[in-house]
Amino acid sequence: MKTKSLGSVRKSFSPWTDPDAKPFIRFENVTKTFDGTAAIDDLSADVYEREFFALLGASGSGKSTLLRLLAGFETPTRGRIVLDGEDMTGIPPHKRPVNMMFQSYALFPHMNVEQNIAFGLKQDGMAKSERNDRIAEVLKLVKLENYGRRKPHQLSGGQQQRVALARSLVKRPKVLLLDEPLGALDKKLREETQFELTDLQYELGITFIMVTHDQEEAMTMADRIAVMGDGRILQIGTPPEIYEAPTSRFVADFIGTVNIFDGTVTARNGDRLKLETGAGHLLEVDANEESVSRARSGEKAAYAVRPEKLRISAKELTGPNVLSGEVWEIAYIGDMTSFHLKMDDGKIVRVSMVNASRESPVQLTWHDRAWVSFDPDAGLLLAN
Amino acid sequence: MAKPRKGLFRSITIGLPYVWLACLFLVPFLIVLKLSFSQIATAMPPYTPTFGDPATWWASIKQLTIDNYLWIANDSLYFNSYVTSVRIALISTVLTFLIGYPLAYGMAQAPQRWKPFLLMLVILPFWTSFLIRVYAWIGILKPEGLLNQFLISLGLIDQPLIITNTETAIFIGIVYSYLPFMVLPIFANLDRMDKRLLEAAADLGSTPLKSFWTITFPLSFRGVLAGCFLVFIPAVGEFVIPDLLGGSGTLMIGKTLWMEFFNNRDWPVSSAVAIILLLILVVPIVIFQRVQDREAAR
Repeated sequence: MKTKSLGSVRKSFSPWTDPDAKPFIRFENVTKTFDGTAAIDDLSADVYEREFFALLGASGSGKSTLLRLLAGFETPTRGRIVLDGEDMTGIPPHKRPVNMMFQSYALFPHMNVEQNIAFGLKQDGMAKSERNDRIAEVLKLVKLENYGRRKPHQLSGGQQQRVALARSLVKRPKVLLLDEPLGALDKKLREETQFELTDLQYELGITFIMVTHDQEEAMTMADRIAVMGDGRILQIGTPPEIYEAPTSRFVADFIGTVNIFDGTVTARNGDRLKLETGAGHLLEVDANEESVSRARSGEKAAYAVRPEKLRISAKELTGPNVLSGEVWEIAYIGDMTSFHLKMDDGKIVRVSMVNASRESPVQLTWHDRAWVSFDPDAGLLLAN
Repeated sequence: MAKPRKGLFRSITIGLPYVWLACLFLVPFLIVLKLSFSQIATAMPPYTPTFGDPATWWASIKQLTIDNYLWIANDSLYFNSYVTSVRIALISTVLTFLIGYPLAYGMAQAPQRWKPFLLMLVILPFWTSFLIRVYAWIGILKPEGLLNQFLISLGLIDQPLIITNTETAIFIGIVYSYLPFMVLPIFANLDRMDKRLLEAAADLGSTPLKSFWTITFPLSFRGVLAGCFLVFIPAVGEFVIPDLLGGSGTLMIGKTLWMEFFNNRDWPVSSAVAIILLLILVVPIVIFQRVQDREAAR
């Protein structure tokens, strides 16, 4: 695999920062209602050519509906979808230049692997010899050269997944839609396949739109992630942006683990704010760019800080941004240890510590008193 | 200790259907088989031998004969009856399929909340006696019946159509009576089908009509086959419908058998007729089973 060259290319791929770049897919104020309830609510987003775009959300967030709107299985109640400059309104699914890989794979049970893959090509009236070449090519791509004559039920879950992928790729669509593509695979196979899929996407140069509820999967594979909730996109950004700079409490809470301290701004010195939490802690935090103008003295605000950005100590610490509590839970995960500390007001603070050496520098056990500290720029001030 | 008891329970559960089949299927079959090799007698029961006294069994066995089968082979009446029965059953099956498939398809496509109601409508006719429903068709089809009155009042025809006592009436009767047996297995098959498969087909560029022929129909084929056999097999031996609607012009094997049994009181020949009918029907049943086995082995 050409992993080495991939990294450098990926880094420079960011058409969304280029104001002159033309979006490949545009969702323009798309609304879709089912029985009066909006599954997609006035949603607008742009996806660029060759992008690996992930729609991330809990079930019922509308992510699958958005994919089905693009495939043409559903029609927008309002708004429109433009693909490569062409308005998709009124174009039936069989005439759209997109192919979908279904969560259940939806392989035709009465056809063997080759017939499944040939199905799409036959619809285009492709000559048999050319068809066979394309099938052989795509079977090689998914490493199933010797499985052409098998029926779907004679294949393992991982092999079925590959057939579904091959079938959706063989027509060389402009956009490949993936609905929870790895959902049915076990953990190990899923991790392997994640990298294979990203490599494949780069090699083929096809735009991928993937629906997933698994944030790790989205972060590993996607160029950009759209976090969805209640039929809206709450934030679009690269994986680091989504993780380190969530723009809302929901996103901060949804992606990874986070400690959120609610409080009132008591003083302000430039970009440095003093935040008094309900439990009487006084935090000194940096206001991130967006909230600088907003957070004023006396206003309510929340400070979100991720567990790995807290330091834990068994010795008493002093200074600003120090909290102390009782060790409530310890989870040793191997590469890291996760602590739950119970503050005096009952609030649980999560801290994670990377196990950089084999012997832990911090000796803590259940019900010990522990102290945590963090830097003013460790977290993010969120508007409430 | 629990193991042998579990084994006993298993044997009972597995054994029960076998006992049932042995008592109510195998034993009557053997009686009919034996009858078909017996000779007619002016007695009660009207055949011989009767295997009454175990001491005379050997003598009784020597009385068994294949004369009944030779009789049937030599009289073209029976041959024609068989051919007519198979022909009428085949045509009826095709007609039932042509009407039943779209019906089942429509039901499977209907909104989920309607399906129980539609299913009930299909089963509803069973709430009335089969015999009464066939009689009702006489009222509809006869020259001064409802259908002719309706068509004449519309001005479409001047003279009443003669439908009763024709093969057309038999077809109408069979298609009407056996339609649920065609619709239900096809519906069960279509309803079970993963709708995503059609989306996948559309996604790969197939028009809805093409998807029907390449995906829906092949996947419902087992239901079609089951429906066809459920109609064809009883239709071959059908007696009530040809007797009431077909008149004397059409001689189907069920009616021939009935006449042998009740009019001629020739139990041995009618038993032989029944055995041959069974042999004719075994062929499609074996084909059906082999297709099913092949499907299961896939």
